[in-house]
Order: sequence, then structure tokens, then C-alpha cells
Amino acid sequence: MASSRKITLRSSDGESFEVEEAVAVESQTIKHMIEDDCADNAIPLPNVTSKILAKVIEYCKKHVDASKAEDRVNDEDLKAWDAAFIKVDQVDQATLFDLILAANYLNIKSLLDLTCQTVADMIKGNLFPVRNEWLNFTFSIANRELVLVCLTEWVAHRRLFCS
Amino acid sequence: MGQVPSSASASASPEPSHRGISSSQRLDSLPSLELISSSDEDEVCRGDSGGGGYDYTGDLPDECLAHVFHFLGAGDRKRCSSVCRRWLRVDGESRHRLSLNAHAELLSSLPSIFTRFDAVTKLALRCDRKSVSLGDDALILISLKCRSLTRLKLRGCRELTDLGVATFAQNCTQLRKLSCGSCSFGARAINAVLDHCVNLEELSIKRLRGIHDGAEPIGPGAAAKSLRSICLRELINGQSFGPLLVEARKLSTLKLIRCLGDWDKVLQTIGRSNPGLLEVHLERIQVSDGGLSGIANCKGIETLHVVKVPECSNLGLSSIAENCRQLRKLHIDGWRINRIGDEGLVEVAKHCLQLQELVLIGVSVTHSSLGLIGSNCRKLERLAFCGSDTVSDVEIACIATKCEALKKLCIKNCPVSDVGIESLARGCPNLVKIKVRKCRGVSGQVVELLKEQRGSLVFNLDAGEIEALDDFGVEESAAEFPPANASDVPSSSNERSMLFRAKLGFFAGRNLVACTFRRWSNGENSTNGNL
Repeated sequence: MASSRKITLRSSDGESFEVEEAVAVESQTIKHMIEDDCADNAIPLPNVTSKILAKVIEYCKKHVDASKAEDRVNDEDLKAWDAAFIKVDQVDQATLFDLILAANYLNIKSLLDLTCQTVADMIKGNLFPVRNEWLNFTFSIANRELVLVCLTEWVAHRRLFCS
Repeated sequence: MGQVPSSASASASPEPSHRGISSSQRLDSLPSLELISSSDEDEVCRGDSGGGGYDYTGDLPDECLAHVFHFLGAGDRKRCSSVCRRWLRVDGESRHRLSLNAHAELLSSLPSIFTRFDAVTKLALRCDRKSVSLGDDALILISLKCRSLTRLKLRGCRELTDLGVATFAQNCTQLRKLSCGSCSFGARAINAVLDHCVNLEELSIKRLRGIHDGAEPIGPGAAAKSLRSICLRELINGQSFGPLLVEARKLSTLKLIRCLGDWDKVLQTIGRSNPGLLEVHLERIQVSDGGLSGIANCKGIETLHVVKVPECSNLGLSSIAENCRQLRKLHIDGWRINRIGDEGLVEVAKHCLQLQELVLIGVSVTHSSLGLIGSNCRKLERLAFCGSDTVSDVEIACIATKCEALKKLCIKNCPVSDVGIESLARGCPNLVKIKVRKCRGVSGQVVELLKEQRGSLVFNLDAGEIEALDDFGVEESAAEFPPANASDVPSSSNERSMLFRAKLGFFAGRNLVACTFRRWSNGENSTNGNL
């Protein structure tokens, strides 16, 4: 029987989360810390708040469970779960981007791919006109000539691409 | 092109440098962009100056933003790069794949392009027929800017000469894949690539006009040891590649399509010297049974396409079958010449028990061989018939009873009727998808019947008479008989290519064969594949 050792993770705001080792090592960062024997006490994660850490743990737990033989979840169901997990109106934008940062820091590839793909999907086909509500940019015209210089190469290159 | 040309010293640095652009002129030609200006790109991205809200992407480190861009296609990335300076920079730094219009005018923009995109490893340069392409100086400049290029695709770059390509090769020694189509350089250029690009794995050459009769031999070069895939298409003197083909001991894929000359000897030599060959594609070349027997010495062959090779017969196919017992995918286009038929397929049934995919176009087969294939080839999953006059209801019934592993069946232009299709209701327990095209005897009723009896089956029926170019890529009228001469040369070709096509003579004309199965079994033709 594999040991279900518990690992304690401490968020930036001091909250402790106890998780099974199998779940914790979904994060390559934590995995290396454990391997390097830095995990006797709680593992401090100064870059991740408790709110985000809770979500990350939820994600990792689901993915670890999904691959276990008894609770075998097929790929489609897992994808559906992922989609629900990341749905933007549940997960507000701030949380979405915090998740990207957390996934990056903790080195959880599948979560990083999921979150970045979500942002990419939001970007797709939505960029012209440049004033874009989702991106929360409100541009103003200041100095057009500097703007030209800024994006001159973009304009010059635009016609050169095949696609 | 008429767009704003960047000066030669253009850079993507945040410093605004006044380049003396006459702003009034340029503003008119721009689409109406309302853009923030700033010399500090961070300020731009914050967007605080409008009361619109917060830009979360500003919190992401560059690598995360680049990771987001990685999920976008080239068009979306192009639009993203116009959002703000930071996105312009991150996109430029993380773009590895670039596809450019290779006109002569590209030269002036190259410095700024490769300053902006400084991590390009895969480059496509395409020039259309009407424009003058970039020349040697442009290619050399590219080679200096992109020293770590791994893939290069050239299309229609007719101004490139041996010298330019040779210099390119000296600078870009990490090249792994080279694909050129409709260019005019010659053997010296290819030899230079083979000498310098020692890690070259894939080489695909189509219509290289500089390799005419009397061209110097090509290969082996240093790259012969690393090449895994060679595809030669529409070459007048493809034989000049002989030394390379024979010395490329690691070759696993060989495709010879419409190249002049007698290929028997080369195939026989390859058979002796390249035991590792896995995939062979012979199309409209001069090969006889002797050549097939020769290549049959590569006993590990898993995929074989013999397409419109009129001199190959059952004898050659038998030779392949007896020797290449690992055969998984077999495509034969017999061009309705009837030199390949039941006899050869019986041999395949006897020896090639690993067969997974069988595609027969213009081949007269009957149940006598198909039954045996069904009984023996227990792994057969995909089966397709096109233009086979002898594949009728009897054959389909036979398949239904014998081919237990069959998942996908495609029938086109065969004398099959509802009776035959009905038999599939009871047979082929693993059948997932049926496609029927241009079989006049098959009606919508039998589709309904089958769907009723086998709920999960996908049945694709189209009895339409007129289909310009269908899934098989076969134009029925042209497929009737092999052309006697170059009579079907397209009228739109210009003089140069007319001459070229006339030389190809017998092999001129449009490419007539592309099987449905290319998609089904995910076999990507290296010349058509993406970078």
C-alpha cells in the first residue's frame, strides 16, 4: 500500500492546508522541495493566498483521483469538470490570473495549460477594434506620432505575413 | 507594398525615436486606431489612464503571457501584438514559427522583422507566381539573423540561386527539415545543404528546376547519416539523388512521385543498403516488378503506396507480400490497367497478417481474394474501394462476414447496391463508420435501415453525380485511362513551367490521387505538412 503521507502547505496569509502527498506532488515545485527534504514542517508558499491555494488543491485532488483505478474518470468527464472549474463567471478574472501565477510558481503544467488556454479563448477573435472591454483597456489618444513609432514595425510587418 | 517601411536600424526598443515620418500622410493610411502612447511599456499596459479598469495581464510574467499566446494561431497573435508594446514584445520573443510572403520587397523589412521575432526556428517563405521572389541577399540575411533555424520551407522562390542557398546552409547548420517547391536552384545548392546541415532529418524537393539533365550527382554529404525522410516530386532528373538515397542508411520514409527515369536499379540498391525503411510511396514513376522486388528486401516496411505505376503487376506485389510481413498499410492505385488484382492480394492475405489498412483504387478485386484477406488479416480496421468494377454486393457481403475487426469502410464508384450494404447490418461487429460515394445502386433507404439496426454507426452517403474533387481527390474522367501524352497540361501555366511540364511529359497533369485515408489514418505527407 502506498503511503498516504500528509503534507502541510501554508499559504501567504498563514492558513495551513493538509493534503495527501500524491496531491501535493502534482506541483513539481513542491515535489522537488519534498525530495530535497525541505518538507518536514509545513511548506510555506509565500506567493499563494489561501483562496487560491484552496482552488489549486481542489484541482490537483480531482486530477489525482481521476487517475486512480477505483474512481477512474474518463477523459471527457474530466475535461467537463475542468471546464466547469475554470468557467469565468464563477472564477472572476482576478482569480483566473492568480491561478495562472500560482500554477506557474507551483509548476503544475496541466493547470497552467488550462488557465492559459482559457485566457487565449477569451482573446480569440476579439481584438479589433483595439478598444476592448474585456481587456479593460481604455485607450486615449495622446501623441499619435509616438504611437506610430511605437507600432510602426507592426504596421510595416502586417502585410508580410502569409497568415 | 506601400506601407510604412521601417528604417534599417529599426528596433523594438521602448525608446521612441523620431524617424522623420511625415505623419499626416501616414495617419491617413492607418486604420483608425486609438492607441496609448508611452515610452514606458508598463505604463501602456496598466491602462490606468482611462478609468477603464485593471489589466490583469500586466501581472503575468512574460513567460506566462507567452504561454497564453502559444494557444493562439498566427492571425490572433498578429492582432495581439498590436494591443500594446509589451504584447508586441512578448509575442515577438515567443514566436517560433513564421510564415512570410517572400516577395523581393521583403528584403528591406528583414532586419526589423528578425529584430522583433528573435526566436524563430521554423520559417516558411512563400512567393506566388506573379511576383518576383526574394533573392540570395535576402536569404543570406535571414541565415545570419536566424542561426538556429531548424525548419525551412521555400515555395516559389525562383530568384534564389545555388550560391544563396549554399551560403544559407553554411550559416544555418542546425537545420533539420528542408522543404522546397518550385524553386530554381540546383544540385550544388542541395549538396551544400547536405554538407553543412549535418543534422538534417527531412528533405522534400518538388520541381527543382535547376536539376536538369546532366546535373551533378547529389549526395551523400554529411547529412546522409541523419536523414530519415526523403521525398522527391516532379523532378526531371531525380536519378541524380541516387548517391544520397543509397547512402542514407537511417532512411525510414521514401517517397518518389512523378520523377522521370527508370527507378528499378535505385530501388534494388536501396533494398540492399537501407534495411530500416518503413514507409515507401511510389507514384507515377517508371518502376517494374524488378524494382518492387528490390525494395521488398526492406523487410520492415509497414506502409506501402503503389500509385499508378503501370509496369507493376501481381508478381511485384507478391514479392512485397512474401518479404514484408510487417505491412500495415497498403494503398494500391491500379489505374484500371488490371495488372494487379486477386492474385497479388491473395499473397498479401497469406503473408501480411498485420495489415490494418487497405485502399484499392482502380483495382479489380473479387471476393476470392477479399475473403482470404478478411479471414487472415485479423487486424484489418480500414478498408476502401474506389473505381473497382468488380467490387459488388457479393464482395461487400463477403467483407461483412469475414472482416471482424473492420471499423471504417469507404466505397466509391463501385457497382454496389442496397443489397450489399444491407449485409453490413449483420456483419462487421466493430464497424463505426461507412462512407459511400457515387454508387448509384445505394439509396437513402438502406442508410436508414442500417442506422436503425446499428445505432452508433455513422453512415455518410452521397449519391451526387457532380463532384469536382471529392475525398479521394480523384477526377473520374481523368482516372479512366492513363494519359497518352501531356494532353492534360493545365492552360494556366506560364511558358517556363510549360517547358518543364512538357519534359515531364507522361507525368504532367494534376495530382490525381489523395486518399480519404490520409486523413483517417493521420498519415501526413511531409511536403504538405505544416512546419
